[in-house]
Amino acid sequence: AATAPGKKITARLKRTLPVRGPQAPTLSELMRWYCLNTNTHGCRRIVVSRGRLRRLLWIVLTLSAVGLILWQCAELLMNYYSASVSVTVQFQKLPFPAVTICNINPYKYSAMKEYLSELDKETKKALETFYGFSEGKSKVRRSVDDWNSTGSDFFQQIPLLKVEDFSRTATDLRSGQKRKIEGSVFHKDSSIVNSGDSNDIVGFQLCDANNSSECALYTFSSGVNAIQEWYRLHYMNIMAQIPLETKEKLSYSAEDLLLTCFFDGLSCDKRHFTRFHHPLHGNCYTFNSGENGTILSTSTGGSEYGLQVVLYIDEADYNPFLVTSTGAKIMVHDQNEYPFIEDIGTEIETAAVTSIGMHFTQSRKLSKPYSDCTETGADIPVENLYNKSYSLQICLHSCFQKAMVDSCGCAQYAQPLPAGAEYCNYKKNPNWMYCYYRLHEKFVKEQLGCQQICKDACSFKEWALTTSIAQWPSIVSEDWMLRVLSWDKGQKLNKKLNKTDLANLMVFYKDLNERFISENPTNTLVILLSNFGGQLGLWMSCSVVCVIEIVEVFFIDSLSIVMRRQWQRAKKWWNGRRARGGSGKAPQAGDVERQGHDNPVCIDEDLPTFTTALRLPLPQDSPLPRTPPPNYSTLRLETAFTEQLPDTLELDRH
Amino acid sequence: EGLIEFYGSFREMFEFFCKHTTIHGTIRLVCSGSNRLKTAFWTLLLLASLAMLYWQFALMLSQFWAYPVVLTMSMHSEPKMFPAVTICNLDPYRFELVSEQLEQLERMAEESLTFLYGPKASARLFHLRDKDTARDRDMDTAGDMDKDTNMDTDTDRARTRASRGQGQANFSSAAFRLSQNFSLVRMWDPRAGKNQSRVGFRLCNSTGGSCFYSWHSSGLGAWFRFHYTNLMAQLGPGPARPPQHIQDLVYSCQYHGQPCRPSDYVHFHHPVFGSCYTFNSKGTDPFWTATKPGIPYGLSLILRAEQREHIPLLATVAGVKVMIHSHNQTPFLEHEGFHIRPGIATTIAIRQDQVNRLGGNYGKCTTDGADVAVELLYNNSYTLQACLHSCFQHAMLRRCGCGYFYYPLPAGARYCDYSRQPAWGHCFYQLYSQLRNHRLDCFQHCPKPCRESLYKVSAGTAKWPSAKSQDWVRQALRHQNGYSSSSSRRDIAKVTIFYRQLNSQAVHEAPLLSENLLLSGMGSQWSLWFGSSVLSVVEMLELLLDALVLALLFCFQRLRAGSGPGTPPSA
Repeated sequence: AATAPGKKITARLKRTLPVRGPQAPTLSELMRWYCLNTNTHGCRRIVVSRGRLRRLLWIVLTLSAVGLILWQCAELLMNYYSASVSVTVQFQKLPFPAVTICNINPYKYSAMKEYLSELDKETKKALETFYGFSEGKSKVRRSVDDWNSTGSDFFQQIPLLKVEDFSRTATDLRSGQKRKIEGSVFHKDSSIVNSGDSNDIVGFQLCDANNSSECALYTFSSGVNAIQEWYRLHYMNIMAQIPLETKEKLSYSAEDLLLTCFFDGLSCDKRHFTRFHHPLHGNCYTFNSGENGTILSTSTGGSEYGLQVVLYIDEADYNPFLVTSTGAKIMVHDQNEYPFIEDIGTEIETAAVTSIGMHFTQSRKLSKPYSDCTETGADIPVENLYNKSYSLQICLHSCFQKAMVDSCGCAQYAQPLPAGAEYCNYKKNPNWMYCYYRLHEKFVKEQLGCQQICKDACSFKEWALTTSIAQWPSIVSEDWMLRVLSWDKGQKLNKKLNKTDLANLMVFYKDLNERFISENPTNTLVILLSNFGGQLGLWMSCSVVCVIEIVEVFFIDSLSIVMRRQWQRAKKWWNGRRARGGSGKAPQAGDVERQGHDNPVCIDEDLPTFTTALRLPLPQDSPLPRTPPPNYSTLRLETAFTEQLPDTLELDRH
Repeated sequence: EGLIEFYGSFREMFEFFCKHTTIHGTIRLVCSGSNRLKTAFWTLLLLASLAMLYWQFALMLSQFWAYPVVLTMSMHSEPKMFPAVTICNLDPYRFELVSEQLEQLERMAEESLTFLYGPKASARLFHLRDKDTARDRDMDTAGDMDKDTNMDTDTDRARTRASRGQGQANFSSAAFRLSQNFSLVRMWDPRAGKNQSRVGFRLCNSTGGSCFYSWHSSGLGAWFRFHYTNLMAQLGPGPARPPQHIQDLVYSCQYHGQPCRPSDYVHFHHPVFGSCYTFNSKGTDPFWTATKPGIPYGLSLILRAEQREHIPLLATVAGVKVMIHSHNQTPFLEHEGFHIRPGIATTIAIRQDQVNRLGGNYGKCTTDGADVAVELLYNNSYTLQACLHSCFQHAMLRRCGCGYFYYPLPAGARYCDYSRQPAWGHCFYQLYSQLRNHRLDCFQHCPKPCRESLYKVSAGTAKWPSAKSQDWVRQALRHQNGYSSSSSRRDIAKVTIFYRQLNSQAVHEAPLLSENLLLSGMGSQWSLWFGSSVLSVVEMLELLLDALVLALLFCFQRLRAGSGPGTPPSA
């Protein structure tokens, strides 16, 4: 009796306060409570539906809705990093690109005589022996004995060979001795073009200087390729030993190359050109290089307003073995871009006017995580050897040069020097050519890893070129034009220029439309969230709150129930052990368990909550156990149906 | 508890529904009791929101079912295959089986030339043919070939002569006679002035009732081609031709600094463009992967561009025809490609562009041509050109009864020639103009392919070989590759084809409204206007089903109750 008021108060409290999740004694109670109270659709039906099949169906429906939500949201997330592209075409005054012009022949042959005379002599001899070719008919064919006496360096270094295919024997050009070829054979010849006369295959052998059994033989089907490749190897050796200042003097000066110049309708001269020394093409001249801080632009499209130059290509001063074509090479590029003339330069013809129309496109990609490109190249672990802005080509070349220095100990001639390295020549590095060929083969086969390291640049400018050629000068204008140009060229050339030594080049914008292609992210966080909201709403009318609810009920509350259970069990066990059958504590534990709904105190007296009302056990004395009527009185809904509906009556009667 | 329990009454069912439903609004409507104003208000509200919802749904679905696409562009830079490259020597072979008729035809051409342009015009042609026949006679009598000057031509001839015996068996030259009906006439064009005239020939249908002239502004090229087509049609598909050697055209072939391999090319003979070789036609050999841009990593060819003039009136262009196309594609040289000049080194920079179409509901396109109504006559991958040609050939067979010589034949058909179908020319020209005017439904039947690669080319040229180097270059070629010319004529050419950049620009079609986004949008609308979900709809469905079952149940009961004690059963 003494404890009665206290108990009554707690009972009252429990009644008035709604049952909270953790107070549910069991997990199934908690689930039931959750399903009845949540705003999420479907769950409630699992509990309130009548019939096991119905309930099962609702469970399946709810779970499939959850599954659909998860699937759709995953799809939304996966498509999040997609970019859409916008193309804008603007009509504006366009900056004129840099135009780099080189003669195909790098150095004046007459000036190079002192460096190349030995090599040329050797080459001529080789041609004579192989093909019976002799320059001037007056020259008497030299005998083989004469050969040996010269003690040619070049053939000792890299012997040119005539190869008898498949038999793996070769005739040395110099000694005339047959020798067995050891090591691997790299056929540079194509048997499709092979005329079948196997004696005719020409090649050269490169050996590892440290291990003479390691040799590689390179053969070519066409003697043209073989001789040129062989010549180029030696040429690079020689050039590597000449200092840069001397080389610049040996090559063409701006006055040599450029005869006339017009830009945007105005005359221009060599001051508008910047010299740039290219290892393979000698002195090149860049128009509008932006070096003095100003970048020229054109106000109008069309050939009248572009760059127009007449180039002097001195065909008589060409190196016959190094270059076989006559003309100039030009490249249109951005001021910050390094011109890879040898890779993607456009050749122009002599005795012709070449009009090159440009169309400017600027592209911009989104960097990570949208695509794998680099903004500045700073994140690429390859040192940029060119002092120009990053591009894929620069990275590949730098990467190869680095590998070359690492494995061969010297740098390849065609690319800039890394710090502390010097160019290869076989006086210092007798092994470099074998090493280079091996390395280059690896590079081509992508075994060096350069292609994996180097990434695309995210933004790049491109000038699409359209070329057209016409004969120039025309027959009627030829006479006076050549005369005028000869006069322009200066008095030192007292003879008239030949039209096959001239090339006319026009570079202009076809139109002043700039096409700008840029990628933009399609999705923003706002769009993603609203799409999530749409999906959650569509399938289950769920919201963020209901997600929180789920977390609360299914994780925190469930865990707390399980923990409490475990704790009680442990306590019970402990008490049992201590008291050894003492039943003093046991009922208390039972009291704790019978909290919440199970507590019969909650049921009756007061106005029950929605929940408690619904989960009332059916009265045992119900006349119709098959269709138990819920306790609707709690909702006071009877007023809506004051009269008994006839069909219910019927049912009763039946 | 039973498997499915039904409600005891409709009232009970409704009460249950209105208590447990998750649809917003409805529960208030039903449960607001007898307050009519409230009920009306909620009903209105419910109806209004429903209307809004379905209006929005209709908008969204109509947008979705219009299948709008957006074009997206992307830049790819992954390593790719080098494209297929076809080169042709522009020197069609003079088939021995028809050579007599060809000579006749040339004589006719000479006569026409003399008739139209005076005796001077045909002098050169005469001269050529005389040289030709003289050489033939030489060869027959002496049997000794002049190895240095015309070795290739003559060996070809010798080979055909040898195989002529077998060839003659299944070909009767008597069946074909050159028709004199299609003579060239000149017409003065009154509009263009006095010195302008047109040349043409007359084509009639089989009855002769309908005739028209095929007019050309100059020359007799079209006329010659017409006769040549008839002549060549004799040979049927795949005429026996002597084996061609790639060495006759290609002196040197390098890719990526390495030599090409024997398996790398496919040869075919085109009746107008001569011997053609396709490099990398399958695109499966890893040898042809393009890993780096630039000239050193391209395909470099030294070609013979000699003018041998087997059929002087047909091959009027000197040089080599080059076409860059996708793998497994029939090269349509008459539509695309460009020419290489002799004595010139041409560097061709290519850039690949890709077009991806969505197809399906989003537009008409085909992935492999299997779903196209036209039976493809080319056994290569589907292209629009191949489909159009096939379509035209089928139309030709239907209307004219024979096939056009330049397109492949379906099984069991024959090529047109005027000894069998004298009116085919009339039929063909009419059909062709119908195709051009889109009156033939070929353009409707042939969808575009869903994936297309386009190659943009830009070229640079330089003189090759240079004056200083040409002596040794020629000597080397002469000595090693069977290059036979001793003069310094411009008869060799160099071509380098390379990727200017490996970045390819791809244009994709992407659906503007994917299913995913449509569902999201619908969900948003539903939540906004109605606060319900798919599960609520299922609830409604359940209610309907329950109502139906209950109604049936009650009906059944009433029937039984009515029939039980009342009217006696018929039994």
